[in-house]
Amino acid sequence: MRLALILVLSLLGCSGSIDEPVGATGRSPLLVKTPRPFGYVIGDEIPQRIIIETRSGISLQTGSLPAKGQISRWLNLNQVTVKQTGRRYQIDLLYQVFYAPLEVKPLTLPGFTVQLSQGEKSISQNVPAWTFTLSPLRELVVRQTEQGEYMRPDSPPSLLANTQALYGLVASLTVAALIAAYLGYLYGCFPNMLRRTLFKRALRKLAGLSKADMEQALTIVHHALNSLNGQPLFSNQLSEFYRRNPQYLQVSSQLDCFFNYSNRYFFSDGMIAVAQDLQQLRDLCEQCRKIERGSQ
Amino acid sequence: MTLWAALAISLAAFVYSAGALYGIHRDNELIKQLTSGKDVAVNKIISGEPELRLARAFYFKQKHRYDEALSTLSLIMDKGDQKFQAKARYNLGNLYLEQAVQQVKAMNMNEALPLAGLAKQAYRQALALDSGNWDAKYNFEVAMRLLPEMDRVDMPDDEPNNQKSQLWTTVPGFPRGLP
Repeated sequence: MRLALILVLSLLGCSGSIDEPVGATGRSPLLVKTPRPFGYVIGDEIPQRIIIETRSGISLQTGSLPAKGQISRWLNLNQVTVKQTGRRYQIDLLYQVFYAPLEVKPLTLPGFTVQLSQGEKSISQNVPAWTFTLSPLRELVVRQTEQGEYMRPDSPPSLLANTQALYGLVASLTVAALIAAYLGYLYGCFPNMLRRTLFKRALRKLAGLSKADMEQALTIVHHALNSLNGQPLFSNQLSEFYRRNPQYLQVSSQLDCFFNYSNRYFFSDGMIAVAQDLQQLRDLCEQCRKIERGSQ
Repeated sequence: MTLWAALAISLAAFVYSAGALYGIHRDNELIKQLTSGKDVAVNKIISGEPELRLARAFYFKQKHRYDEALSTLSLIMDKGDQKFQAKARYNLGNLYLEQAVQQVKAMNMNEALPLAGLAKQAYRQALALDSGNWDAKYNFEVAMRLLPEMDRVDMPDDEPNNQKSQLWTTVPGFPRGLP
C-alpha cells in the first residue's frame, strides 16, 4: 500500500495541482472490506466492498473495475455497483464460488488495479488479492443408497399461491356489497329507512286507484305528509313544515293546490273528481318521492 | 347511473376472481396428483401455469422417464420468476446427474461425461439465480466429484505431488476409500 502511495506521489510529483495523497484526510485512501475469510461452501456469494477517498476533481474510471461475469472456471462476479457520495467512492463486488474442494481449501479472490483520473492524468490504486478457505459439503467416502450415490432429491413443485385471487375476490365482493347497500338505501329498500320511503309507498298505493277512489287517494297523500311531519299537517302549518323540511319548498305551489283541492273536496258539496286531478296527485307524489330519495 | 356501472364492474371483478380462484384450485389439485405419482392428461396442463409442467417433469423423473422429463423441463426454462427458474434448473441438474451416476455405474464413461457436464452447468445456473439453495450446492458437489474440473486451483503452498494426481482428475467416479 505504501509502495502504491509512493508510486502515486511520484506520478503526481510533477503536477502542481495533484501534489498530495489521494486521500485528503491523510489516512489510507483505499479501504477493502471483506467478510470472514473461512467457512464458505460451493455456490456461496462473497461480497467485497472497496472504499476510495479521493480529492475533489479526481474521478474513478469505472472501466478499470473487473467486468461482471465469469472470472475463472470456479469464480463468477455477479454484481458490480459503484456508489459515489461526494469524494467517496464505494465499490461493491459480489463474487460467487463454484469450486468443489475435497478438503478445506484456500482460494484467492484476484486483486486488480483501480484507475483514478484527474483531467488527462491517471493514478492507479491496487486492490490486493484476498484469500479465504472453502469447505467441502460431502464426506470423502460417500454413503451409498439403493440408487447409487447419495444425492439430494428433486425439489417438488410448490402449489400456486391463491392469496392474490382471494384478495381480489374479497375486495370486489366488499365493493359490490357497499355499492348495492348504498343503492338500496337510495331506493329505499331498508325497513329502518321507512321515513324516506313514505312517498314510495304512497305512490304504490295510488297506482291501483281510479278517479272514483279520490277520497282514498287524498287520504293516502295526507297520511304520507302527516307521517313526514310527525303530526297531522294542515295548510296553515305549511310554513313550519317548510322550515323543518326545506327541500319540499320546491313543490310548495303544488302542495298549496293539493291542500286547496282537498279542502274543497272534503268540505264542499258537488265536487266531481276528474282523471286529471288524480294525475296531478300522482305527479305531486312523484316529485315528493324524488325529493325524499335525494335525487332532486 | 355511475353507481350502477360501478356495481356492474365490481360484480364482474367478483366473478372474474372467483373464476381465477377456481382455476388455481384446479391446478393445485393437478400438481398434488402429479407429485403423488399419478399421471394427468397432457391437454390439462398445456395451457396452464409453468408450475404444472414442473410437476409433470417431477412425475416423469420419479418414473425414470428421463427423455419426457427433459422435454417437459426444457419448455419452462425461461418461464416464471427467479425462484422458479432456479428450481427448474436444479431439477434439470438432478435429471442429468441421476443419469450420469447410472452410466458411471454401468461403466459407460463416454455417456457419463457429457451428462455430468450438463448437470454441473444446470446447478451453476441454479445457484447463480438462488445462492441459498443448499440442495443445489450439495448435488453440485456430487457432480463435481463425479467429473472434476480440468484446471485445478493450485495454491503456492499445495503439495508438489499434485502434478501426478492431475492425470486422473478427469476420470469420472467417486473415491471408494483406501485400497
